[in-house]
Amino acid sequence: MAEELKEKSYEQPVAKEQVEEEETIPGVVTTTSQEINKFLQKTKAQDFINWGRKNSLWFMAQAMGCCGVEIIVTGMSPMDTDRFGIIPRNSPRQADVMIISGYVTKKYLPALKKLYDQMPSPKWVICMGDCSISGGPFYESYSTVQNIDEIFPVDVFIPGCPPRPEALIQGFLEVQKKIEAREDKGSGYDR
Amino acid sequence: MIGDIMDAEKIIDSLTSKFPEAISDTNTESERRISAYADADNIVEICQYLKDELQFGHLCSETAVDLIQKNEIDVVYHIGSYDHPVVLTLKAKLSRDKPQIESVVPVYWNANWYERETYELFGVQYKNHPDLRNLVLPDELLGDWPLRKDYEGFPQNTAKNLV
Amino acid sequence: MDTNVGPDEMLIHLGPQHVAQPGPFRLNVKVKGETVQDSEVELGFIHKGIEKILESKTYLQGIPVVDRACYLAALSNEEAFVGSVERLVGIEPTERSQYIRVIVEELSRIQSHLLGYAEYASFLGFVSMFMYPIAVREKVLELLEMTTGARITHSYLRFGGVRDDLPEGFEAKCKETFEYVRKGVEEWGELMKTDMIYRERAVGIGVLTPDVASDLGVSGPPLRATGVDFDIRKDDSYLVYDDLDFKVCTETAGDIDARIWVRIAEIYESMYIIEQALDQIPSGPLFPENLPYDRRSPVMRVPEGEVFYRVEDPRGEMGFYMVSDGSDKPYRVKIRGPVYPTMQALPPLIKGTQLADVVAIAGSMDACTSEADR
Repeated sequence: MAEELKEKSYEQPVAKEQVEEEETIPGVVTTTSQEINKFLQKTKAQDFINWGRKNSLWFMAQAMGCCGVEIIVTGMSPMDTDRFGIIPRNSPRQADVMIISGYVTKKYLPALKKLYDQMPSPKWVICMGDCSISGGPFYESYSTVQNIDEIFPVDVFIPGCPPRPEALIQGFLEVQKKIEAREDKGSGYDR
Repeated sequence: MIGDIMDAEKIIDSLTSKFPEAISDTNTESERRISAYADADNIVEICQYLKDELQFGHLCSETAVDLIQKNEIDVVYHIGSYDHPVVLTLKAKLSRDKPQIESVVPVYWNANWYERETYELFGVQYKNHPDLRNLVLPDELLGDWPLRKDYEGFPQNTAKNLV
Repeated sequence: MDTNVGPDEMLIHLGPQHVAQPGPFRLNVKVKGETVQDSEVELGFIHKGIEKILESKTYLQGIPVVDRACYLAALSNEEAFVGSVERLVGIEPTERSQYIRVIVEELSRIQSHLLGYAEYASFLGFVSMFMYPIAVREKVLELLEMTTGARITHSYLRFGGVRDDLPEGFEAKCKETFEYVRKGVEEWGELMKTDMIYRERAVGIGVLTPDVASDLGVSGPPLRATGVDFDIRKDDSYLVYDDLDFKVCTETAGDIDARIWVRIAEIYESMYIIEQALDQIPSGPLFPENLPYDRRSPVMRVPEGEVFYRVEDPRGEMGFYMVSDGSDKPYRVKIRGPVYPTMQALPPLIKGTQLADVVAIAGSMDACTSEADR
């Protein structure tokens, strides 16, 4: 059962080689956006783009378990995450970061995958709390799915049951560091 | 009867005199908790009587206990009241091989979800239930009856790094 | 619900991820134009099987697990669980720990109502109204944290007592915090009484009558907002609530506005209870003598028997049914949460209302999916 669900895992998409030969026009250099991206990666301009990406990590407000309450608090005025560019969004279509904030059940996993698919690239995943890391108190339950990191490309794990809001902010800062160093697992974009 | 101050003794007396054959093993645990066994065939009439005559208007919960050694499943009703503090624990014995009982949804409307849950977790079939299907379990787990004592999928060992 | 839709009807799925939800569940609404014809709640997206897990844990190991059944009322859950075990074993907590339990449980009620109010206000569209109660709630959480060591999942209660005594300076900090809470709640209350936009959206919407509410089996603020003064703290009293003076907060209108006013009144009432408890609290030991377990041997055998013990959760009636077979683990635990009937009552409640009001009505019921799913 769990194996079946895991079949569709989100691996890094491999950039496909250009198959079709473009028609060459004399005097005109044709290029593709992929090539531009590849060129940019060699320059300092990519650092600038990553700097922009890392400073607007909008996350999806999706309360799943106890950690969901701490997510709500993190997005509110006492913690003031706006200063890091971390803003809660209600729709997956507007979000960059998905926080898996609790036990993933067999019933919820398809919906969670759909939410992840709906998010536009580049996108990152944060595992918040023990439940999504190792099962937490519910690791032996008949209803939960284990080993979430094999299903989603997780960048940061935040331990705690539940972690404090400060820990969640720390987790976001770690994602920012990884993006800056081009070591993140965020999918669907060129670093 | 309505208007009198209900106490545990009076309720038990009233129940046993109304249903001398269907009610057995009555027990007064304290002033506020009483328990009784009911015959599974008469459960709807008993609940109707409790609601109409004894002010038991509030079904706290309905669940089941799997007694694997006796080879039976007890369906347990906790029935409370908005007017007096007594909670009645009503039980009905069912055979474990084919547990089947009449639904009490016509009497207590909120029994609907409790019965659906008891059905999917224990496999108790409720007759004349308006909508008997799984509530919390995904479709593929239906039929495993996870809260029975001989369920084999628990504990789950798929997590990595289990000590 | 009949999922066949007519030519002028439409089926809308709210969820499982929807912003106006306390956790994942799905509300399937069938609408004709803007009017709700029929609806259906689909549960189980975070069903963790707590009842099965508790059967495999010793009694002491069960405390952190029941904490996580509903994370907004962790202390009430603990009280229901620990109280059931105490009744099975026959332990009477000392008076001082009973008072401490009352204090922390009422603090937990305040923070739960504050968050419930904040969520509800945001569902109505008052985004900044989401921020203010959360800021106040942080202060209340600080009080809980200095006592129990955790913000929302405490594992604080023990069989026969509580883990730690109240910290130094608790009373002074309480006083300071309550001033802050009173000031905040008064200000929002004034806003809610006078703001025309709010009144238009809240008054007379989602009305429950006492008969219907009792038939649906709801408890807690949604029931008390209809005028039924059903409160386990009074009707089936536990701990030292009998020695404390408080009233059951009721309203008569039964609409979503009334539910919020019941919660606001309960915030005041809880603060009043805590102030009394702090005045009356006796000194003495936290645990009674001759406990059947201790730090060296935390495993405790519980005599055969069964018990049904209920407490007043922030959301209503929380009950634990526990069967023991004489071993060190419970044979069967049934958690009767208050949110279960509340969510079940949603479809009849929203029938015939406008689609835009569905979110407001659902928010005013203050549901907690985690507890309904367990």
